[in-house]
Amino acid sequence: MRKVILLRHLPIRLKTFISLLLLSILLISGNSLLAQSSDDEEVVLDNHSHEDIQRGERFFKGLLPKDRKFEACVSCHILSRPDTMNWNPSAMDIAVKYAGKDFADFQSAVMEPNGNRMEASHKDFKIEESDLKKVKLYLDELAITGPPIEGPVVNQIVLFLFLILLMVLVILDLIFFHKIKYRFISALILLVSLGYLVKMISEAAINLGRSQNYAPDQPIKFSHKVHAGANKIDCMYCHHTAEFNKSAGIPAMGLCMNCHMIVREGARSGKFEIAKVLEANETQKPVVWVRVHNLPDHVFFSHAQHVGIAKIDCQKCHGQVQEMDILKQSSDLSMGWCINCHRQTKVNFKDNKYYDTYMKLHDDLKSGKIDTIRAVDIGANDCMRCHY
Amino acid sequence: MKTYWRSIEELANPKELRREEAREEAKNKSMLLKGDQEMNASSRRDFLKTFGFSIAAASIVAGCKRPVDKAIPYLVKPEEINPGTSSYYASSYFEGNEYGSVIVKVRDGRPIKIEGNTLSSISQGGTSARIQASVLNLYDDARFKSPSKNGKEISWEKADEELLALLATLQTQSGKVVLLSSTIISPSTREIIRKFAEKQTNTEWIQYDPVSASGILMANQKSFGTSFIPDYRFNKAKVVVSFGADFLGTWLSTVEYTKGYTAARQLQDSQKNMLRHYQFESGMTLSGSNADVRFPIKPSEEGAIVLALYNAIAQVKRGALVSGVKSSVDISDLAKDLLDNEKQSIVISGSNDENIQILVNGINQMLGNYGQTIGLENPLLTKQGIDQDMDRLLADLKAGNVKALLVWNANPVYDHPKGKEFAEAITKTSLSVSFSERPDETTVLCQYSLPETNYLESWNDLEPKSGIFSLAQPVISPIFNTRPPQEALLKWTGNVISYRDFIQNFWKENQFTKQKNSTDFIKFWDTSLQNGVFETVQESKMNFSANGVEQAASQIKSVSGGIEVALYESIAIGNGKYANNPWLQELPDAVAKISWDNFAAIPVAYAEENGLKNEDVIRVNGMELPVFVQPGQAKDTISVAIGYGREIAGKVGDHTGSNLYPFVVTENGARQYFVTSVNAEKVPDKVFELAISQTHYLMEGRPIVRETTLDDYLKNPASGNEKEAEDLSKAVTLYDEPVYNGHHWGMAVDLNSCTGCGNCAIACQAENNIQVIGKDQVRNRRIMHWIRIDRYYSENPENPKVSFQPVMCQHCGNAPCENVCPVAATSHSEEGLNQMAYNRCVGTKYCVNNCPYRVRRFNWFQYVKNDKFDFASNSDLGRMILNPDVTVRSRGVVEKCSMCVQRIQEKKQLAKLEGRVIAEGEIKTACSQSCPGNAIVFGDLANPESRISKLFKDQRNYHLLKELHTLPSVGYLTKVRNTNA
Repeated sequence: MRKVILLRHLPIRLKTFISLLLLSILLISGNSLLAQSSDDEEVVLDNHSHEDIQRGERFFKGLLPKDRKFEACVSCHILSRPDTMNWNPSAMDIAVKYAGKDFADFQSAVMEPNGNRMEASHKDFKIEESDLKKVKLYLDELAITGPPIEGPVVNQIVLFLFLILLMVLVILDLIFFHKIKYRFISALILLVSLGYLVKMISEAAINLGRSQNYAPDQPIKFSHKVHAGANKIDCMYCHHTAEFNKSAGIPAMGLCMNCHMIVREGARSGKFEIAKVLEANETQKPVVWVRVHNLPDHVFFSHAQHVGIAKIDCQKCHGQVQEMDILKQSSDLSMGWCINCHRQTKVNFKDNKYYDTYMKLHDDLKSGKIDTIRAVDIGANDCMRCHY
Repeated sequence: MKTYWRSIEELANPKELRREEAREEAKNKSMLLKGDQEMNASSRRDFLKTFGFSIAAASIVAGCKRPVDKAIPYLVKPEEINPGTSSYYASSYFEGNEYGSVIVKVRDGRPIKIEGNTLSSISQGGTSARIQASVLNLYDDARFKSPSKNGKEISWEKADEELLALLATLQTQSGKVVLLSSTIISPSTREIIRKFAEKQTNTEWIQYDPVSASGILMANQKSFGTSFIPDYRFNKAKVVVSFGADFLGTWLSTVEYTKGYTAARQLQDSQKNMLRHYQFESGMTLSGSNADVRFPIKPSEEGAIVLALYNAIAQVKRGALVSGVKSSVDISDLAKDLLDNEKQSIVISGSNDENIQILVNGINQMLGNYGQTIGLENPLLTKQGIDQDMDRLLADLKAGNVKALLVWNANPVYDHPKGKEFAEAITKTSLSVSFSERPDETTVLCQYSLPETNYLESWNDLEPKSGIFSLAQPVISPIFNTRPPQEALLKWTGNVISYRDFIQNFWKENQFTKQKNSTDFIKFWDTSLQNGVFETVQESKMNFSANGVEQAASQIKSVSGGIEVALYESIAIGNGKYANNPWLQELPDAVAKISWDNFAAIPVAYAEENGLKNEDVIRVNGMELPVFVQPGQAKDTISVAIGYGREIAGKVGDHTGSNLYPFVVTENGARQYFVTSVNAEKVPDKVFELAISQTHYLMEGRPIVRETTLDDYLKNPASGNEKEAEDLSKAVTLYDEPVYNGHHWGMAVDLNSCTGCGNCAIACQAENNIQVIGKDQVRNRRIMHWIRIDRYYSENPENPKVSFQPVMCQHCGNAPCENVCPVAATSHSEEGLNQMAYNRCVGTKYCVNNCPYRVRRFNWFQYVKNDKFDFASNSDLGRMILNPDVTVRSRGVVEKCSMCVQRIQEKKQLAKLEGRVIAEGEIKTACSQSCPGNAIVFGDLANPESRISKLFKDQRNYHLLKELHTLPSVGYLTKVRNTNA
């Protein structure tokens, strides 16, 4: 007679295994599962039916009027997050800006374009006033509900669960059904699935807390490509504390105004984005940027050491910033990445008087015993260079 | 070798104590194991628990999406402020009668650390534990958040309006308006008060110090015609005799005195002579434990001994003796020593009895000390309260003569012996206003509470010594809706000027005219503000008169029988004003090594006779106090600290210890801090647990502390340190010695300069984000301080010799902790540091067990953001103190002294940026920077010219447990005692 297996008879190791399995599922699915939020609340503004808002949405998305000759609003003022820089203000941007303002303001902004860029694109724009009102209603609602939510990426979870299912089936087959003739096929399936699962789990675990290629939306469509690339502004002009300070610093609004006092319209962005800088300066409310490069709290990194002393190019860690419209984190900023660089980087040993302290190494250099000093040779990879 | 012991238990039976400790340890471990056994019997419930935990853990891990961090730049960046870089501002501290010229480190707009100002002749770069901890008071949740009337919030405008009207009506009525303040040493504030009194003609201003110097002030009034506290110059003295004055711990200007005292005693740089220190006292104080010769006496005996000393000296100097009671102590050697060192000695007394002080003045005069070791040019102004004024005030209050009472920085309900009567009398006034920064026993009884700003938020000017000025400047804008009381007084006198402008104008008219270096006032002001101090040279016109000595001598009382209670201020808590500061509460008492409580220190013999042991309870005049058997406690005396037992101080300070202020008696018009013939009896079967950390660490008969006498030292500089040579001859190893290419950081501690004051422990706590763990955890031997000050006794338990030894991580070249770490969380750096990577630590504690110096600390709990540890780090406000350059450790990791690696890194980077080698003394660790005794020297051992390399070559230098071949980077210099040969 088969002994009934109850959970409590499972050895503690098996329990741990089950727990770990659950943990892994969540690890892999977590990002997508938790990204969802259920905000289905229906918001109907005073005196306006849901239908009005829906019509507004159709106008905005170019479904109405049927005989329109101009481009749909949404083709420029997009709703979703683009992969590349979209210079036009997004639907959300506009919605938020005009949420508190009345229709007349909105109408004049749409119908009487301001600035070269906007004039060109709004040239043939014709819309009934009543329809435009509905568009405004739609946008007002958008300001409250936020942009449509993009569905989670499920491929990974499906694959993960499929592999587990496959393994369970094969195991059951091995024990009970015996449908697969050759045992080596079962073994092969088991091994391959297990290997792939381990790979998935370990990759997910390694990437925990890392965020290579992180490129969040910023409150202003600031392009390093325009500033550092096309206009060739030196990195140190804005991030001027990088040479002598731990932090490279984010330029104060006052610094932006050095140029934007005069430059008030962009070739591609028009006036909408630069207006935010001017507004911040006028209202004395600083822009709240989203931080891209973020080391954990227990890591102490100093720009002064790397930029001011070692004279390392910004691009070495931050990538080709002058080619980025949307700034993204180009390196993974992992410890291995730091350490590798320390192993390879030569120290400018002779020009900096500080290194006179290392008399023995200087002697060795002179006598030809060693030919270069790398950062690691003077303790750059000591724990307490970065962790204290 | 001399036997050293840490407690009476150890002296009596070291083996038994060891066994007891082992038992205790085993008990703790079994408690831990008990929990485990239940777990092993696995049930479905346990599975569900594990299951639930995994789900929770998994969702947390999976939910660990990187948080979206925001970066908010300045609108217009101030030139001098760079995010991530600290700025330093000179300011001044004056609280609880303690003055310090300080440098405040401000990081991203938050003051986080205090250092001593090297430009000040008083601070000389040093601080005390209380000055170090004062920055935490700024971030105290207990502080008042806004002005209030009868407990209800009120606006400043409304309050001013109402008070102006009330004061105007009181002007027309009979009765007084009394401003009761602690001693005010701000010249501009004194001017404001004068102006206020001019307008409000019925104003009386009374200064009140909870622990007063009334005796000295009144004695000098008789001897010199002016009431003042002279300027003691310990650095010039060869012999110091102190009668109950703990001048290294709590008496008057301790930092200045410690600087002078240690300078006169340190045997570095070919200095060959040493100050000799005699101390008469009842309890074991910091000064007494540093004294070369210590006489345990009853407090009431002091007068007779002073008189005997006076006569012994008068016999030689004058021939005329004064009559009075006879002394039981033989002071002939002492008198001879003093006479041999005329003009080079200091005799002081901590007594508040003016007669004793007159005799002390007489002795100093006969020895020719005035003008030499005791200056009259710049008298100390930090205590000006005359005790009789308070008695008069109380009588006036009771009689209803006081219509309005303005209380500023005074708390008589708590710290006056007649506090209860004050509490009743205050309610009789028609108007009562408190300017207190935080709730206290007096403020809660006042109608109006107009909270003042913290000293780090306000402007001020100070004159700690006559002619020595300093400025205080705000380093943060007021966190709460508070206002300096000076602005209130200015407003009430019809002046519409900010206090800052008032100070500036005042300085233009007064201080500016006292100097000739600068003709431009703004330049002078900026320089003074930057330096923090402005010091002038003055001349003294005071003349001594020996009148009154006879009368004083006749007033000296004879010794009373029975047991006496001596009251003292503890180094951490002082007069109790900042009892709500968790750092100070957790700082172990300098000698007893007890934190979180005051206690009755009883003599060893008394304990034996009455069958008392530590943690028993005795009833002293009706008050139950925990017992601590204190070696060196004088026969028939009990010492208890004042400053504890606050009722309304805040979550930390409330009800810790007992309030002993009601024990203070008024005699001769002055408050005396001892009680004669008390009833003391054991409370049977009652135990009060004390957080004693003194028995945590043991010497095990090894020469951890090494000492010698001055005579032996002069004959042989290596005396007492013979073992070092022996160890050196035996130092053989199979392994390669570590090689340091660049730096090799090291530290030297001169045991001769360390007084054991505890400043380093608090400085380290502030610098390195060390958490407070509370009384229970201290009892569990888990105190987190990275630098502890071990205290060892030797010789006679009735009057032992005491040795202090600060012990921090020794940064061994061959570290036992490094070899045993299974995850390589602790390793050796290229610069000789023993590194600790918290994020790698998994908490096996192998390193803790393998460290022969017991300097590694384990985080048994999460001490930050944990309601179970409701101290500074449990609120957003309290966490503003954290140093962003140091990781806040979490539960389950080991931590220890890092030799302030963040400071090393900062200065190294600066040197590299400037393209130069690091200058000697440029890098200072937190403990060495503000040490008032200059006992700790930090530096680069790889540089043969550095100061530390020279100290390491000193024949007094030795390393702890060198025989273990740990190759420590910390050296100790033998303690030298200047005992009579």
